[in-house]
Amino acid sequence: MRPGTFVRVLFPTREKPRAPGLLHIGYVLIFAARQQEVIVAYTTSQPWARDVPLPAGARLFDTREAASLNQSRPFLLRMDLLARLPATSRWFPDLDAYNRAVIATASPALQSELTHLAVNIGRWHRELLEMRGP
Amino acid sequence: MPQARKQHAGSRRKAGRSAAAKPRAKVAITLRLDPDRVARLQAIAEAENRSLTNYVETALLRDLSRREEAERVITMYVAPGVSDSISPEDVVRAEGESEEDYAARQALAVELWSIPDNA
Repeated sequence: MRPGTFVRVLFPTREKPRAPGLLHIGYVLIFAARQQEVIVAYTTSQPWARDVPLPAGARLFDTREAASLNQSRPFLLRMDLLARLPATSRWFPDLDAYNRAVIATASPALQSELTHLAVNIGRWHRELLEMRGP
Repeated sequence: MPQARKQHAGSRRKAGRSAAAKPRAKVAITLRLDPDRVARLQAIAEAENRSLTNYVETALLRDLSRREEAERVITMYVAPGVSDSISPEDVVRAEGESEEDYAARQALAVELWSIPDNA
């Protein structure tokens, strides 16, 4: 599994947070080789409610950007909604397929942008914990 | 007076026990909507094989959980059995990634691995 790729993942749900959930496309932020574990960011093509503010970690991909990542609809990537999962076919159902579940690979520029977004979110998370406790 | 307090405390305990034993009763609300909107909602509910009431409740719960998520900075789901720490050298480098970005992602990985399951 390669960082910087968009993959099919059974992202956990609020209802069953410890079990493989619904099929989504996720962004591989971190892959730990020794542990064979992944941190994957959630994406969705469901429209966001108009009156609900977007979370700080949201990155919107319009139709053109989505198409360049082999996705037919605009989508929202949520760098604030992450899952730490084993890199197994239980969580990544197409892992054994020829493309190893990869839908697309982000360009180096996009990967860099998403890394910076994640670093900023990580910093805000840490600062918030320091201010109000875990 | 002490007796009255005792009785009050007793009834509170009883209420606490019954609250723990069975889920709290739902509160009924009245919702007024335009007929056209009701027809649309009804069609969606039927397509999802739900009652209109269940569909509306589900939509409201989805909205609430989105709001809760938006108030948190990072929501982390953690699969059972995954490791609870990582070394920077375990992080696989992305193709064409700069030294600076790789170092940032290594530090980030260590930090993200320390976030417990808070979903």
